[in-house]
Amino acid sequence: MHTNSKNSTGADLSSILEGLIKADVKFILVGGLAAVVQGAPVTTLDVDIVYKRSSENIAKLFAFLQSIAAFYRRPDDKVIKPKEEDFLGMGHALFTTRLGPLDVLAVIEEGKTYEDLINHTVEIEFRGNTIRVLDLKMLVELKRTSKDPKDKQRLPVLEETLRQLEEELGIDLG
Amino acid sequence: MTKKTETKNCSVVDKTLVAMFLKMSPEERLRANDNASRAILELRNAYKQQKFNRRRPKLNT
Repeated sequence: MHTNSKNSTGADLSSILEGLIKADVKFILVGGLAAVVQGAPVTTLDVDIVYKRSSENIAKLFAFLQSIAAFYRRPDDKVIKPKEEDFLGMGHALFTTRLGPLDVLAVIEEGKTYEDLINHTVEIEFRGNTIRVLDLKMLVELKRTSKDPKDKQRLPVLEETLRQLEEELGIDLG
Repeated sequence: MTKKTETKNCSVVDKTLVAMFLKMSPEERLRANDNASRAILELRNAYKQQKFNRRRPKLNT
């Protein structure tokens, strides 16, 4: 944790994950960092999570966001802090926090929620705790249908990682 | 056309880098990403600072 500045661009993405675990937030790690932890040699500057949309979980998530001084990431310099009710909808909330950027998603591609994705996750041991990560097979499937140029650029690396992983384990991860 | 794109995509992937990353533990991978992202941000800030310094007129004393 090397910075506390409100407008800092510093990042300690591992600490965001650790904080979410300690705050007992139910979430699935998705996006670039999910690919990183499963062995894809890519670099990402933010954490993307899909959260469980229960009122209890939203309260925990909101308290955690407050604890890391989260405010909406915007093209201008306006500082807009989140409200608990912001997480009841099905949208994406993109934050700057004192630990780095954090994208809090109710759904991802094709409207998939936490409940839709939970069976496509792997459990990974992290700093003595377990985090749920969207599996590489599903990540690749979602990126294949994505129109985002960043996803298209990253797809061959994810596919090669999946191929090597399946070869190493001698199984089809699907 | 599709085949050509696939061939092109395959050629841009550094397979040795993938193999190296797969040998690491998830925690090591996260640490590597944290270090990389810090380095990227530091370099970006340095670049911004350099641009700012170039634009600032030099003061003659």
